[in-house]
Amino acid sequence: MAKETPPSQEEKKPVSRREFLNFAWLASLGFLSLSVAGMSYLFAMPRFKEGEFGGMYTVGTVADLPETGSAPENYPKVKFWLSNTDQGALAIYKVCTHLGCLYNWVNQENKFICPCHGSQFTSEGQYIQGPAPRSLDRFVMQIVDPASGEVLAQTDESGDPLPIPDDPAAIVRVDTGARIQGEPHG
Amino acid sequence: MLKSVNLQEFRQKTWRAMDGRVRSLTAGLGLHELRNLMRGDPPGEKPNPRYKVHTTSFLFHIRPRYYEAGSTILTHTFRLGFFTSFFFFVELFTGLILMLYYTPSPEKAYTSILELANNVPYGQMLRDIHRLGAEGMVIFTFLHMLRTYFTGSYKKERTFTWLTGVVLLGITLFLSFSGYLLPWDQLAYWAVTVGTSMADAAPLFGNEVNLLLRGAPDIAANGLLRFYLLHVVLLPLAAILVISIHYYKVSREHGISLPARMEEGDVPPEVKKAAKQRIDYIPDLITNEVYYVALGLLFLVLGVTIFGYHAPLESIANPQVTPLDTKAPWYFWWLQGMLKIDPAAMLENLLARFGIVIELGTYLNSKVIMGIIFPTILAIVLIMLPYIDRNPHRSLYKRPWAVGIGVFAVLVLVVLSYMGTPQFGIEMEPAQRIIQDMTPQEGEGPLDRVPFHELQAGSYEVNAVQPVNMCPNLDYGCPEFEDFFRLFSDRVNRAIQAGDLPAETQALTVIEDWQQDLKKLTLRIVWPEEGKTKSYERVDYMHTERGSE
Repeated sequence: MAKETPPSQEEKKPVSRREFLNFAWLASLGFLSLSVAGMSYLFAMPRFKEGEFGGMYTVGTVADLPETGSAPENYPKVKFWLSNTDQGALAIYKVCTHLGCLYNWVNQENKFICPCHGSQFTSEGQYIQGPAPRSLDRFVMQIVDPASGEVLAQTDESGDPLPIPDDPAAIVRVDTGARIQGEPHG
Repeated sequence: MLKSVNLQEFRQKTWRAMDGRVRSLTAGLGLHELRNLMRGDPPGEKPNPRYKVHTTSFLFHIRPRYYEAGSTILTHTFRLGFFTSFFFFVELFTGLILMLYYTPSPEKAYTSILELANNVPYGQMLRDIHRLGAEGMVIFTFLHMLRTYFTGSYKKERTFTWLTGVVLLGITLFLSFSGYLLPWDQLAYWAVTVGTSMADAAPLFGNEVNLLLRGAPDIAANGLLRFYLLHVVLLPLAAILVISIHYYKVSREHGISLPARMEEGDVPPEVKKAAKQRIDYIPDLITNEVYYVALGLLFLVLGVTIFGYHAPLESIANPQVTPLDTKAPWYFWWLQGMLKIDPAAMLENLLARFGIVIELGTYLNSKVIMGIIFPTILAIVLIMLPYIDRNPHRSLYKRPWAVGIGVFAVLVLVVLSYMGTPQFGIEMEPAQRIIQDMTPQEGEGPLDRVPFHELQAGSYEVNAVQPVNMCPNLDYGCPEFEDFFRLFSDRVNRAIQAGDLPAETQALTVIEDWQQDLKKLTLRIVWPEEGKTKSYERVDYMHTERGSE
């Protein structure tokens, strides 16, 4: 058998001027395409306005909160349910963690039920059953001293219910920009 | 003077002039030749002027010169690809007209659909045809793919054509899905919310894709505009490009496949020869196509008139209220059905039986596995199919595995689609379920279909009133109201027998004359539970001029 010469040794053609320029044009066009793709991405990405949903929202005073253990209250404009449980108060993001439907409070069953795929959550937003991957998300809630404006208490990093002080005049507010993801269930 | 007028010559000249004009319009076919075509006669000139059309005319150059006789057998292709493209052109045409009246903004979209339906001559009909054509296109794309799969037509030289076909399936689904949002009613809004949320589950870029599609965290003016532009510009352009590639391959490169029985194994030469016989596009195939176009248009027009298909329109989109029974468009039900399965939890349970405790759910929830990973695998399998299936045979008998898997996949798709419907696996109180089925929050139920005049004021209690002779003071009785009431009674009684509702349950239909030409309909179910009386009711108002609201 005759030895075949590897193609690399066959004939080494030098880069011609045309080849070099062609590669240069193509490379610059490729770079331009990448830039255009990046620009389009930035162009099409939505921008958020401060002040609307996403900012600080004052619910009222402690006296205005729903009674402990009563049905959660809906705040549609700022997209949360306010729930006052034995352990404390919670502001629960009103979008189901499954596919983005808005769940409802079903008084007869005493739980949140999503009409789309049937995920269920307790009044504290804890996952009960259904296809949702995690418990409901919560917003950071703050208790503010009405006189000094000092933050007396704040929802911690785990998003647990915030105990409500006895002072009925203390102001309750919710930071709808700070969302704490619900705990995934095992 | 008169002598110089030679009538014979004049007629000949006129004829030649006309013939010449016609030839320049028809890319070379003269008047005699057109007559021959209409009659199905052989070509009258030599060389055959019909082939020349394919090189001279732009529209005909993408069509084939001929198909092999074997590939034109109806039961081999069922003309599924033809009808898919037929529906696509129907969509282009009706869509262009509908754009005249449509404004893609949340303030105007819904009213422009109402305007179209109520105040534009043939507006409702065009919208119905556009919607029916869209459903047809999705169905026929899928059937076309199934046919290609089962006849093994994706093999050998047709692999690239199959690939473009898979891309077209995706484009078709997205075309249909993007159009879903445009009426801006509750059905549209929430189906698209659910659909786009599935993208949210994708790791790394899911949230970004969602933001890009919706133009905001939730669907609003930006989202509507983006879906509109996708629906009327980007996706149709993409579809036209890929359809052209797909079709070019078929018409110019490899043609439609022959049935395997005429090609594979010991086929007698005369059968092979007969199968390979050429059938010319002009005049035979085009005659056939004209017939099928007429058939397709007849189907569409009959569908929206005699068979009463209407594009649904619910109440205006309300981003604050998710209606009960929200579901994705039907061709995504299988995906929604899959999202109800949690394989991580199933695996955990299985392993727990052997004493192994792991927490997969923390890393892999059902949304990621079933919403992203599984569909991605499915798409890859579809695209790679010609390379995965190395079996060179095309005959059904020689590819038992492929046929088995194909049939199994279709069955799985049907079962998953059933699981995707809201009736499956969503816990709802029995009373609420019954009433929702009788008169749903959105859309029409049995109660809404009862004619206005059959609704006689009164209170009708299930089991106390029998669904016979309910309206003795009406000349012809109220058969449709009785049908409704029978259905309602059956559902309540079955729920009682199954133990979902206690035996003391009271179920009522209350009809009141509310205003002139307006009736108030109440469905109420009352039952005792843990010493308390619970009830669920829904109130509907029905006007004589209109359906219920």
